[in-house]
Amino acid sequence: MRMSELPPAQIPLHETADVVTARRAARELCEQLGFGKADQTRLATAVSELTRNVIQYANHGECVIENRSTATHRCIWVQVRDQGAGIANLEQALTDGYSTSGGLGAGLPGTRRLVDQFHIESTPQGTCITIVLTKPL
Amino acid sequence: MSTTAFQQVLHEQRSALLTAWINHVAALGDQHGSHEHALDALLRSLFDDILGILERQPTATLTLEHEESLTLALRQLVGEQARHGSSASTCVNVVLTLKHLVSAQLVTAAEVTLAEMSWLEQVFEQLTLLTVTAFVAIRERQITQQSLSLLELSTPVLRLWHRILLLPLVGVIDTVRARQITESLLEAIARYEARVTILDLTGVPVLDTSVAQHLMKTIDAARLLGTRVVMTGISPEGAQTLTKLGIRFADVISRATLRAGIAEALLLVGQQIAPLEGKRG
Ligand SMILES: Nc1ncnc2c1ncn2[C@@H]1O[C@H](COP(=O)(O)OP(=O)(O)OP(=O)(O)O)[C@@H](O)[C@H]1O
Ligand SMILES: [Mg+2]
Repeated sequence: MRMSELPPAQIPLHETADVVTARRAARELCEQLGFGKADQTRLATAVSELTRNVIQYANHGECVIENRSTATHRCIWVQVRDQGAGIANLEQALTDGYSTSGGLGAGLPGTRRLVDQFHIESTPQGTCITIVLTKPL
Repeated sequence: MSTTAFQQVLHEQRSALLTAWINHVAALGDQHGSHEHALDALLRSLFDDILGILERQPTATLTLEHEESLTLALRQLVGEQARHGSSASTCVNVVLTLKHLVSAQLVTAAEVTLAEMSWLEQVFEQLTLLTVTAFVAIRERQITQQSLSLLELSTPVLRLWHRILLLPLVGVIDTVRARQITESLLEAIARYEARVTILDLTGVPVLDTSVAQHLMKTIDAARLLGTRVVMTGISPEGAQTLTKLGIRFADVISRATLRAGIAEALLLVGQQIAPLEGKRG
């Protein structure tokens, strides 16, 4: 199918409008690959959380969205990365209600619950979060 | 201090220069009769200020920002032009036209020094800079105003019934919009002594933590003014996502559809929609 040949989308994140662009791209790919409404919504929301964090805490970064479907599974792989100051205490940041900005502190822990795979790496040189949504064909 | 040839020319050609400038500017844009008077007056005042500077002893550095009357007149002129849809280059052309007229007079006169010509350059460079800056500032203000009025348009608070308000939210809710929404809602609650506010989220594309927090603040403020909040239009997927995120709207009645929300709101104020009785029998 041609779909699997779509080039990955690489969305630069500089301002809040880019959050909208990124989550829209995620939702569109989701829909193209035949994921249902619920999946589209959870991926769009997850991308919204992660990209907004980049704008808010690291000023800028990028979001890569790839179709990694196989013969047996539909699969969307998203990586959101920045070169900001990083997260000092990952465990804390992944705890519900922890926020350094007066937010709800639900973004990271919520995103982890929303997606099928969640991987986070953070150093003082930057943060890189990978999320995956899969569904058997 | 004796008069230089440069100053002499400016002095002798003063009124000719002014007339020529006004004519040229009129030809630049097709100004309609009605603003011509105001424009002439502006050009006159600007002309006096510019010549006043040209006639000065040249200095190495020149900043026009402290020339209050000049900057004011220039800003007014640019504002006037921008309002009539002129481009930045038209505004700059108005200034450069005067420069060309002055240079044309100077080259025909003998004994004008290089230093004086470079003073002319310097003055008009600064004037051009000031014109562009003024133009950009005006444009930016126009854009801000336009987006502010769009904001207002996009958050109407509707009075649905006696003491019931409906706030249909559409589009992206960021910090600025959230504040605007809260303000207009609170004002309406106070004005109509509303007891129930229906917050319809059908048109909100993504309910993430940031949107949720904005909504919570709006709801808290509304409740402080004594109204109950009924939320409608959260899709099943949206509700599921909110749950996964761990977000709960405390003390809020939620209904799937706007229709169910309206019925609930009416109930809360002791009313209901019922079929007309006896009409059918
Ligand atoms: N990309 C990042 N770079 C640096 N710090 C980050 C980044 N993302 C998250 N953080 C830190 O982790 C904390 C938790 O993030 P999380 O998204 O869970 O909550 P929040 O952004 O504070 O609030 P919200 O509920 O609105 O998302 C943040 O307050 C911030 O200190
Ligand atoms: Mg966050």
